[in-house]
Amino acid sequence: MEFPNHHRQIVEDLMSGKFILPQERTYPVLKDNEQSYTYFFKASFNYDLKITQDFVYLVSDESNETLSRDICIFIAILSYEIDREGKNFMELIQFSEFEVDEIENYFTNSSYIDLILSNKQLKDTDSRKNFINTLNRRNIIEKTSDNRFMFTSAHKFFMDFAVDIVKFENAEQN
Amino acid sequence: MKAEPRTILRFLLEYFEIINELYEIQSKDSVITFEALNEIITKHKTDIKQQLIDYKILNSVNDNFEIRTVYYNLIEFILSEFKPMLPETIEKYHVSIAELFRKIKDNIKGDKVILNQRLTDLAGEIRAFYEMVEKNTISLLNETRELKANVKKIDYREKIVRASRWIDEYIIPLNKILDINHSASIANKLYDISEFSNKHRLVCDDENTRVLFEKLYFQMIQVNDNLLRQSKILTTELLPLIERIRTESIILTGWITFLKNPYKQKVPKIFEGKRTNIYSKNTFFNASELFEQFKNDTAVYFEEEINTDEKWIFDKEFFTEKLKSNLPVTDFFKWCNKTLKEEYKKVEIEKFFALTTLAFDEDIQRDFGKKPEFDKIKINDLTLTVPKITITKYGIS
Repeated sequence: MEFPNHHRQIVEDLMSGKFILPQERTYPVLKDNEQSYTYFFKASFNYDLKITQDFVYLVSDESNETLSRDICIFIAILSYEIDREGKNFMELIQFSEFEVDEIENYFTNSSYIDLILSNKQLKDTDSRKNFINTLNRRNIIEKTSDNRFMFTSAHKFFMDFAVDIVKFENAEQN
Repeated sequence: MKAEPRTILRFLLEYFEIINELYEIQSKDSVITFEALNEIITKHKTDIKQQLIDYKILNSVNDNFEIRTVYYNLIEFILSEFKPMLPETIEKYHVSIAELFRKIKDNIKGDKVILNQRLTDLAGEIRAFYEMVEKNTISLLNETRELKANVKKIDYREKIVRASRWIDEYIIPLNKILDINHSASIANKLYDISEFSNKHRLVCDDENTRVLFEKLYFQMIQVNDNLLRQSKILTTELLPLIERIRTESIILTGWITFLKNPYKQKVPKIFEGKRTNIYSKNTFFNASELFEQFKNDTAVYFEEEINTDEKWIFDKEFFTEKLKSNLPVTDFFKWCNKTLKEEYKKVEIEKFFALTTLAFDEDIQRDFGKKPEFDKIKINDLTLTVPKITITKYGIS
């Protein structure tokens, strides 16, 4: 039985909860074999494979809800604070490099401080450092040095969620 | 009173500040109320109300006033402060331009005076159309940039509404008007006019008409170029910019809603990563299997054994009587075995030993013989070696 190139890496990356990005060598393999990989993950593990133009990821019923919520809180506060400074948060998140100190500044001076302090993964500098490493492991950010990072295209997964909140609210109001 | 043109222009220059304030009020409220006019005049301590009416700058509407369209347009043009117009307003040029063009085509060999007038009118309509498009693009760009900078601190939801309105009601319809590939667009009509005038500027026999066609042709080249530029501004600059404002505002509104109650909202599903142990791939599964055993504890009940059999008690009196009646007994242990078999059909060791206690009874006369003799008795799986004892007498009997 023959498998496509980088099959093992594809399975390992996706099964460890990583987002696979378009610039990775595994992305075109998944894209070219979309149907067979979708079937493979469904039949082998009952997971759903989602392929978009910005990332590939797996969905299962056992979701890491805490991490997902904390990532949403992290990006939401960051977006809000950047906007409050009068900067374009979408452009910055999409194209700019962030310094960990800059993030610290946003979080320590945020008006959402109560929410931050009550969150295990975001409450202080050390927790936030670990959290940033978790984001790095999941390919949501890419570390460019020890204390600098950039968001990858996987951040759009969470931005889409913010759009869905508004859509859902509007639908409810109508 | 008919004023001198220079007097009016000088008046406009001298009192431009007041006129500008009146323009702003009308732009905002569509009308200048009597009170608003008085307030401005009092503020500037100059009563120019009568001149404003005499020079036909202000027009009275009931008890209120409005700046006459010609002056309003002039100030608007000078200030480059145009309000975006609904594309329906621009669409009217489609009708007038198409109608004039049709008549020109149909009567190309007709009355030259009328033809020339139509050509002049057509050029005028095209100019007016183009100016309106240009004004609209400028105003939309200004409004969009202002919305982007958010100087007026507009709420995100309002930003979404405004951005959506401009995209759906202004930019997309305007783009349709300017889309040369769309057969019903004005731009497409202008392209036909350009081709037609290009042909007739060379073949028309009347010189005046030829000159007018020539003028029209060159005007068309310029207008088409300009329209193309406007269309590019709309599609490459304005539309993406306003789309981004809309998306940005939607995302931020979503995040703010989420942050209001982050622990009560459903969040997107992200994959729960599976751990791989470095020392053995199976460790995880083995450990999980081990823990699974404790996961679903089933209750274990111990039932107390209830002995349904009645406990056997050695009835000494009964067996003593039995022994007495069998006297003399030559071999006591054999007798015990035989008696138990008769009584219970099955000999049990416990009963056997209980019965042998009769041999120790003080009232019994035992005879062990001159020489000790031994017998073997089998009780179930057990074989006992017992001495031969003869019981001859019990008590005094």
